[in-house]
Amino acid sequence: MVSPSFSSEQRQRYARHLALAEIGPAGQQRLMRSRVLIVGIGALGSPAALYLAAAGVGTLGLADHDRVRLSNLQRQVIHTMEGLDHSKVDGAARTVSGLNPDVSVETFAETVDSRNAMELLRRFDVIVDGTDSFRARYLLSDAAYLLRKPLVHGSIFRIEGQVTVFIPGRGCYRCLYPEPPPPGVIEESEQVGVLAALPGIIGTIQAAETIKLITGVGDGLVNRVLLHDTMAMTFHEVRYQRNRACPVCGDRPTVHELVDDAAKGLEVAR
Amino acid sequence: MIDARHHRQRILAEVGAAGQQRLGRASVAIVGLGGLGSPVALYLAAAGVGRLGLIDDQQVELSNLNRQILFEDCDVGRPKVEAAAGRLLILDSALRLDARKESVRASNVEAIVAEYDLVVDGTDSFETKFLLNDAAVLLRKPLVHGAVLRWGGQATTVLPDGPCLRCLFRDPPDPADIETCEEAGIIGAATGVVGSVQAEEALKVILNVGTPLRGRIFRHDGLRGETRITTFPRDPDCPVCSPVARITDLSRYDEQVSPRGRVLT
Repeated sequence: MVSPSFSSEQRQRYARHLALAEIGPAGQQRLMRSRVLIVGIGALGSPAALYLAAAGVGTLGLADHDRVRLSNLQRQVIHTMEGLDHSKVDGAARTVSGLNPDVSVETFAETVDSRNAMELLRRFDVIVDGTDSFRARYLLSDAAYLLRKPLVHGSIFRIEGQVTVFIPGRGCYRCLYPEPPPPGVIEESEQVGVLAALPGIIGTIQAAETIKLITGVGDGLVNRVLLHDTMAMTFHEVRYQRNRACPVCGDRPTVHELVDDAAKGLEVAR
Repeated sequence: MIDARHHRQRILAEVGAAGQQRLGRASVAIVGLGGLGSPVALYLAAAGVGRLGLIDDQQVELSNLNRQILFEDCDVGRPKVEAAAGRLLILDSALRLDARKESVRASNVEAIVAEYDLVVDGTDSFETKFLLNDAAVLLRKPLVHGAVLRWGGQATTVLPDGPCLRCLFRDPPDPADIETCEEAGIIGAATGVVGSVQAEEALKVILNVGTPLRGRIFRHDGLRGETRITTFPRDPDCPVCSPVARITDLSRYDEQVSPRGRVLT
């Protein structure tokens, strides 16, 4: 039985979800009441936002300080030529609303940093990491843990990508990578190549993991990281555990709030 | 002129300036613009594949929009090929697109497959999947197969000398055993994962780099969060890609294959 709380339009739009045993009317209601924040509306944020909007997530928060550049359009499929030189979050909000006007979009056209991260993340149920810097990944991981919010991590580099889910108390980005790479290590940037469809796989899996977290079904990519190599077309899974000595989520945490650590060029929790 | 749009791809060692030109000169037929065709079309267009054949005879329905991210709410009722072309052109107005509002059948499959360098299967019918497989083998065109249901799906790449889909599954499943997406349901993100894998495969085959899913099948279970790739051999008795093939001629296809896609002996 379909719950009467769906409009006839929603019954059509979400017909394939209502037919799924694991979603059904109750799962769809959960999706429609959920609030998901995507930080970084680039290569990973594009498919994540499109598939979460299509799934009917109630509120989608889109955070990115950047503007759309022509070189983004090779893989950032939520953006269009109409959006060139305009803010990424505004362009993405337009595409999301065109796909599913039911979704309420909240945009943040600022860099997420130690001053605003807690306030921003606090307002959402699940955080999706679509950023492209180590600095941002540690920051989001720390903030999500301190707020006890699940974080769906994804990252890509050249022809490889990885995805995992951090559930507070079951490990964080610092448990997986205790130390940031030394300065000078190459990061995702304009100088690093990337194949168009690779972020599609990683960002879409991030969307699927988010849907599972919201509806409480399936086996999440928790304590396991899925590694993908597009050229070899291989997928490997590596298990990891919470690090009991983790300064953020370990047994004796030494850090309880976000502060800037200029010496390391990182924002770390103290 | 510097191609700023594809800069990030051109600087990949596996692509380079020559590879990017190769993509620009390539043509791909995307058969079926649904859950799989949506990410395939978006990523191949974004990657700079010069010419895309968009082949689908359906119109956009509201029930498509939980997964078919190529379309908008206001496209409901429009032919998919028309809506898709409009969406792709705002991503890159320089694309060459053939909007072909038709379904693929034995009578037109040769005309479609022969015209493109590579075919991506985004259809939702087993008969069409096997028809595309047979046509691709006979016309020696690479085919990137994909299929989805519920939370997952599969993909494999058929290159001219096989192995092919009929090495893996001799015949399509019995219609009585098939569950459709309408009955069983489907999550958009499942189509996104499989469609993105298909797009990666198409790019690699065009560029002639990496290891495509030839003789390997990618299987994804999004609910379990499991992804497996298993190998399969060429069937020495394959009805289409072996020396003892019984499917030999697309002009006599209905004598050699049943309307349900089964090999007739």
